[in-house]
Amino acid sequence: MPSPTPHPPARSLARLGELWRILGEDRGLFAGAIALQAAAAACQYVVPLVPQAVIDGVFAPGAEGPGPVARAVLGSLGGADAVRAEPWRPAAAIAAAAVAAGVLTVLRGRMMAVAAQRAVRRLRERVHARLVRLPVAFFDRHESGDLLQRATSDVDTVQGILASQLGEMGRSLLLLAIAVPLMAAIDWRMAIASTVLAIPVIAFAGLYFRTVSERFRAKDEAEGRLTARAQENVAGIRVVRAFGRQEFEQAQFRRRNAEHRDADVRLFDGLARFWALSDLTCLGQLLLVLVAGLSLVAGGSLGTGDFFFFLFATNMYIWPIRHLGRMLADLGKATVAIERLQEILDTPAEDAADAVGDEAPHPLPEGAVRFEGIRFAYPGGGAVLDGIDLEVGPGETLAVMGPSGCGKSTLLSLLLRLRDPDAGRITIGGTDIRAIGRARLRARIASVLQPPFLYSRTIRENVAIVRPATPEPALAEAAECAAVHDSVQRFVRGWDTVVGERGITLSGGQRQRLAIARALLRDADILLLDDSLSAVDSGTERRILDAMRMRRGRRPTIVVAHRLSTLAAADRIVVLDGGRIADQGTHAELAARDGLYRRLWSIQSELEDEERTAAAGGAA
Amino acid sequence: MSAHTEDPDAPASTRISLRLWRGILRTALEERTSAVLLVGGGIAIAAIEATRPLVNAALIDEAVANGITPRFWWIAAAWGAMAAGFAIGVATFIRSAGRVSAGLAFRMRERAFARLQELDFGYFDRRPAGWLVSRVTADCGKVSGIAPWVILDAFWATTIVGLSAACMLWLDWRVAAWMLALLPALAAMAAFFQARLLRSSRLVRRSNSRIMAYLGESINGVRTTKSLAREPDADAEFAALAAEMEGHSVRNSFQSAVFVPIVTSASFLGVAIALWRGGLLAGDGAMGPGTLVAFMQYALLFTWPVIDASQRVVDLLSAQAAAERVQSLIDTVPGIRDSPAVAARIARARPAPGEAPDGGRGRIGRVAFEGVSFAYVEGEPVLSGFSLDVRAGETVALVGPTGAGKSTIVNLAARFYEPTAGRILLDGVDMRERPLAWHQGRLGVVQQSPWLRNASLLENIRYGRLDATDEEVRAAAAAVGADAIASAVPEGWDFVVGEAGERLSLGQRQLVSLARAFLKDPDVFILDEATSSVDSETERAIQRAIDRVLRDRISFVIAHRLSTIRRATRIVLVDGGRIVESGTHAELMRARGPYHDLYMEQFVHDRERMVLGGGLTLPE
Repeated sequence: MPSPTPHPPARSLARLGELWRILGEDRGLFAGAIALQAAAAACQYVVPLVPQAVIDGVFAPGAEGPGPVARAVLGSLGGADAVRAEPWRPAAAIAAAAVAAGVLTVLRGRMMAVAAQRAVRRLRERVHARLVRLPVAFFDRHESGDLLQRATSDVDTVQGILASQLGEMGRSLLLLAIAVPLMAAIDWRMAIASTVLAIPVIAFAGLYFRTVSERFRAKDEAEGRLTARAQENVAGIRVVRAFGRQEFEQAQFRRRNAEHRDADVRLFDGLARFWALSDLTCLGQLLLVLVAGLSLVAGGSLGTGDFFFFLFATNMYIWPIRHLGRMLADLGKATVAIERLQEILDTPAEDAADAVGDEAPHPLPEGAVRFEGIRFAYPGGGAVLDGIDLEVGPGETLAVMGPSGCGKSTLLSLLLRLRDPDAGRITIGGTDIRAIGRARLRARIASVLQPPFLYSRTIRENVAIVRPATPEPALAEAAECAAVHDSVQRFVRGWDTVVGERGITLSGGQRQRLAIARALLRDADILLLDDSLSAVDSGTERRILDAMRMRRGRRPTIVVAHRLSTLAAADRIVVLDGGRIADQGTHAELAARDGLYRRLWSIQSELEDEERTAAAGGAA
Repeated sequence: MSAHTEDPDAPASTRISLRLWRGILRTALEERTSAVLLVGGGIAIAAIEATRPLVNAALIDEAVANGITPRFWWIAAAWGAMAAGFAIGVATFIRSAGRVSAGLAFRMRERAFARLQELDFGYFDRRPAGWLVSRVTADCGKVSGIAPWVILDAFWATTIVGLSAACMLWLDWRVAAWMLALLPALAAMAAFFQARLLRSSRLVRRSNSRIMAYLGESINGVRTTKSLAREPDADAEFAALAAEMEGHSVRNSFQSAVFVPIVTSASFLGVAIALWRGGLLAGDGAMGPGTLVAFMQYALLFTWPVIDASQRVVDLLSAQAAAERVQSLIDTVPGIRDSPAVAARIARARPAPGEAPDGGRGRIGRVAFEGVSFAYVEGEPVLSGFSLDVRAGETVALVGPTGAGKSTIVNLAARFYEPTAGRILLDGVDMRERPLAWHQGRLGVVQQSPWLRNASLLENIRYGRLDATDEEVRAAAAAVGADAIASAVPEGWDFVVGEAGERLSLGQRQLVSLARAFLKDPDVFILDEATSSVDSETERAIQRAIDRVLRDRISFVIAHRLSTIRRATRIVLVDGGRIVESGTHAELMRARGPYHDLYMEQFVHDRERMVLGGGLTLPE
């Protein structure tokens, strides 16, 4: 006899404990629902018990008279004479049992749905809250698609288990669990005859899931290949046309399409075999009840009513237990889902002590921003920053330049405490930023990251995201400063234009400028711009830089830039190279010294050369 | 623009479109043998199910009345044979359902895909790639998944209901009348539940897609959320979505948990009423125990066709939107195809070698735009009155800001679109008078982000000319310097490039796509230069390849590299759908017009990139 379960049951059962934890404060409700389920199943068995008692006790009393169960049922109906006199009594009892089963089912359905969905909501919220609080390093290690899948479909799997599979499983098992003692109380011989094939039916269902889930997977894979082929074709439709390869593409697609069809057919063939054999086994069980029961009835050792009960009860429990195998397989899937969720929930968040309160965070200490002996390396990589000492005074604009990968953006992320340095410290007005608390620190620093991220909502909501009640004039002023006000006005819906997936697609420059407006709207003590003007033309760039200089006040400002025009506008320029500060000084100082900055500066003279050459008439 | 896959906010279908489904069922029935077996299997099992209670009754009555007689064993044997027949019927209908479903999916996909190969690009522009792919994959799958069950249940349910009714009437017409009276009540109940389930599951799906979008944003925008210190706001926003989801889910899982048990309870209630009002329990022996059992079984038998039929209606309603989308894709008439006159000419022509299929000139030596206007969206012209005459050997560099109409010009030259006014001549003949497949077969297209198939290097290049030998493919690769890629990887020419060529760098992808186009030996070259940076080594390799490929042909280059621009035989500066300036580089530089300014700005950008590296984003 094959093993009845497709997955190691011990592991699945251990994970049931996890489900219990997920249910949390709704455990009582859920347990109550299971209890009601049992009561409902019991009521369902009253339906065959009544005719059983009536037949054996009233119409066709056998030689031995009704059994103890039938007598008890008959007694509760008022006795044989009462039933004979008032034949509505048994009918009313059946009706009452049916109604009670219905009411109990409704109640348990409600309770289970509420308990399960409340628990799932809490799980969702916990996963989301943890996701937004995990250190940035966590996101370096995990693909966003994978994380999204955990937060959505893995939660859905848990939801499916809690909200439906456990209930279904409970129902199947309870129907069997209630049937067995009832049957045994009525007639132990028949009890055996009525349940002897139940084990093979369950085992068969388990076995089936081993083979059919293989075919399910084969079909899914074929579908994946089919989808990939269609995606490739649609993505390359211009090339397909330009090369006139429609027939070739069609033939390629047909092959995948046929593979998928064949996998689908194989799957159905497997299902056909399972359901046919499992139906045959269930019907065999019923035939066994019929033949064995009727032989006993004919032999006078079983009441007709008793026989009737066995036939009916077997019919009631045998069909649902066929699904147990699938449910156990589903539990196995839930195990994997829970493990994947647990990985997110078990990863420590950024310091909990850093949580923001409801009140507006205190301003940061006044004074210079200092980087002292900063070292930083990404896990498994070489040092990105290797001893950086740097100071930005109040009201000063510091520009940071250097070849790509030199650690410019890392420097800004350290100040925001998106990452923490391996050595050294950063102070603001003399206070170590680790003593400030991340929430307050970030709330008081206005930053524009690269690439700028906009939320998929209206432009207004995006720009005013940290101060939702900002009046339009203030919005307009920030937008004006970021040179994006005209663009916003040109949209048909203006400030209420939705951006992103469900709205319009913005150009890189528009996104940058909106992110700048968003940063400017903050009541901040420090301003950080990470290559935030790279996609705007030089005229606009100048306007934005001028406007920002007007309103920078006492704020230290750090600007990472690739463009000479942006760099030259700063008070001081730092050249990073190989994780160290290669040079620093004003534009005039650096332009006079040999180095990266001078090479950049020399483009100006190359430009003049270029212009002269072109004017002279020769193409370079 | 509508949402990508399924707009959950779209109004839900509430009526079944018979015309639509008739067409789909007709396609499903093309799998003739399986369809016949499906229906036959369904009718067979329905007949067995509906008559089995009678055989049960006969068996029971025989045993109760006469004991275990040979007749009893004959009936038991008949019962066993029916069980076997039932299992065979089940196997038959499931196998056939698989074949009908898989065959329908295959045919729908084949037709939808074939239509995608013909449709004009206007169709593609209005729909995201993911949306189109879903039509071919998910929508076809959804429709074909339900079709066989609709066919099956149409016969199964009617047979069961009809035969059960007949059998019950034959057994006892009074009880039967009461049972039949119950049927509409059961149907009404099922319809009531299904309508609610349909609505709540739509709400769940809508909430789910909102949650998914929000989580996606939380994950992808995690740095921004942190830098804005808005985690608590995100918690609150997500909690609102999760609570909405909980509300809909509780309703949905409650409804689906109680639906079947409630309908079953109702049918038991029906049995009770029938037994009572039918006078079954009045007077002894009014009905034999076999008949009693039979009626109880019919009560259960009656509920399933009702539940299943209501489920099929829901299936049809929920798959209707998918069916409409697939059908409308299959029914769409391509906006660009050979006119009847051209088709007739192709049919008549006996082209000599070197001639086009319509018997006309086989190569393209001149492309002329004459007063061409074009708009993707009516009322928003992209080109207006555009004229340009290009001959073999000329390289036209199209320059200008984003949205100026550069891509539109090359798309029109490739007849991916047709002008809304004016005309385009190929060697003096309107391109609409020449065969579309021939015309596009003469093009060589290299895209900014080249599209490669997930196949080997060799196969990707061979896509340019399917009958090319390995030697010819290698020669083409060598001609553009793409052979270096093959020698850089261990698998050599058999190196599989990955999905969309992801295992190659952008520069390598460009070289492969150049080799592919070169192998094709086209007359008109269309090249969209990449804006992303490649290292200077690759850049030089690409430049050499381009020079070689473009020689002696007509070429249109959407140019970003200064080297390409300077080398062009003609530079056309486009803005606002018109030619602003045109001439050679030297002429335009001397003119000191808009081209001069654009060039100088680009020059500075290029040099800055050379000094500092990093991603190049073009100023707008």
